[in-house]
Amino acid sequence: MTELTASPPDSPPVSGTRPAWLTPNLWWLVIPAILFILLFFLIPVLSLFASSFDKAMPGQITFQGNFSWDNYERIFTRSLYYTAIWRSVWIGAAVAAVCLVIGYPLAFIIARSLRPGIATLITILVLCSMQLDMVIRLYGLMVLMGDKGLINNGLIALGIISEPLPLMYNWVGVIVGLVQVTLPFMILSLIGSIRSINPALEEAARSLGSSRWHVMRTITWPLSLPGIYAGTLLVFALAISSYVVPALMGGWKVITLPIHIYQQIAEVGRWQFGAAVAAILFLTSLCAMALYIVALRRNAGGRV
Amino acid sequence: MDDVNPVPLTFRFIAALALMVLLVPVLIVVLAGLNSGEYLTFPPEGFSLRWVENFFTSPTFLPAFKLSFGLALATTLISTVLGTLASIFLTRSASKAREFLRGLFFLPVVLPGVVLGLALYVFFIWTDVGLARSLAGLIIGHVLVTMPFVIATVTASLVDLDLSVEEAARSLGATPLQAFWKVTLPLITPGISAGSIFAFIVSFGQFELTLFLATPDLQTLPLAIYSSLRYAFEPTAAAAGIFAICLVTVSTLISTRLSNLKKLLSRR
Repeated sequence: MTELTASPPDSPPVSGTRPAWLTPNLWWLVIPAILFILLFFLIPVLSLFASSFDKAMPGQITFQGNFSWDNYERIFTRSLYYTAIWRSVWIGAAVAAVCLVIGYPLAFIIARSLRPGIATLITILVLCSMQLDMVIRLYGLMVLMGDKGLINNGLIALGIISEPLPLMYNWVGVIVGLVQVTLPFMILSLIGSIRSINPALEEAARSLGSSRWHVMRTITWPLSLPGIYAGTLLVFALAISSYVVPALMGGWKVITLPIHIYQQIAEVGRWQFGAAVAAILFLTSLCAMALYIVALRRNAGGRV
Repeated sequence: MDDVNPVPLTFRFIAALALMVLLVPVLIVVLAGLNSGEYLTFPPEGFSLRWVENFFTSPTFLPAFKLSFGLALATTLISTVLGTLASIFLTRSASKAREFLRGLFFLPVVLPGVVLGLALYVFFIWTDVGLARSLAGLIIGHVLVTMPFVIATVTASLVDLDLSVEEAARSLGATPLQAFWKVTLPLITPGISAGSIFAFIVSFGQFELTLFLATPDLQTLPLAIYSSLRYAFEPTAAAAGIFAICLVTVSTLISTRLSNLKKLLSRR
């Protein structure tokens, strides 16, 4: 989803040579969209964050205007909540690392395939799997990984194990589920930056006697760093904000921030506290984005 | 690459693994929906259409499928119109606010879905104009998260457009509106169609945002499958999934044909 924001299509600078009629007052075109975003996005989200500074009253959803830091104090003083932040972050980091390791080779093959038919076919498969409803893909994953799932049944039938392996309803299941869901975003972020590397660079190094791995490590990998940063942070941001994957694959046993938000609201009715957890979640993904921009600038500064 | 720098064998192996991670779960859904037994075992018990037939008489999954389809259609219509108009502004205007607005339009997909759903739900209850737990409320939420995809696709096709065609029409006496309607619009139609298909798929599969906005009598397909997964693995859910898989595959094929796939990827 967000990979579109990572690199918005660049538009040409509006030149002075363009006839005046092409740059008339076009504001009326964008006003409906602005009003829509203002009314149904900015106002709701800002007032949600404002309500996180309101005193928590279970079952009370309206704004009371009792300013307090109580909700945030509670998050950072009770281990239940700050361990959830930590858990979300390490699961997100692990998912990003796994996606990078298993996504890079596939992205490399798509970007460098000499047979365009195969590259297109794989890309379409990746796109289809990305766009298919997450819950449907998780159905397949759960049938595969459950205690009575295909993997455990197969291994028991073959006599390799006698007890089912605990693959689901724990952090293993959550990480596998998140990797399944976010991997396409990693691959798509990588393809562009690998494709932009001039193959002549690699060929030159090869012809001068470098091994394939040496070329990969010293040329291809460093030159694809922008895509690596973009993909890693995108996957991290998607992984920490996912509700459905920890809910299904973790069976409510792996409590991440989105699960806390839902529980606070649907089960306890503590709206203001749920809003505070939501603000923390949003800030965490914003931090990832800020880090991404800093890393990208530093990288470009060293190279260009 | 089978000349100077072939793809290392380890790379091919890991790439195959990555493809399996992506595709095996989808394959399993298809098998579970077409399997004759209650549970999917390996090897499958046999082929049967009983779950597909079940889906067509199901009191939960069939209405959910229809609701998701209708919701996605309404969402697509609104976000295509709003997004296309905004894209024309974003590519044609000389205003300094362009970059800011572009960022603003993309914010809804950056915000975690659960947070956005919660914010909208609270807002709908506060304003109390009947949007809370209603179809209109759901459509509003879905338009927010699908419009960025329309804007991304349509601005891309507008940027690639050769302005001289429009200028030619103008110099031959067409009014700005005529030139846009008769020359520009037909040229960017593939981009608009691809964007709207994109919006349709995103809305059809939307789960996290819908979680707070839906009600028991407004169950979308992802929600219906989700609740069945939490309590039992109904093969009927997998049969419903097969139809969703077909829908998404066909739409993806059409949209990649419409928007040049290579260009789409080099932009990322």
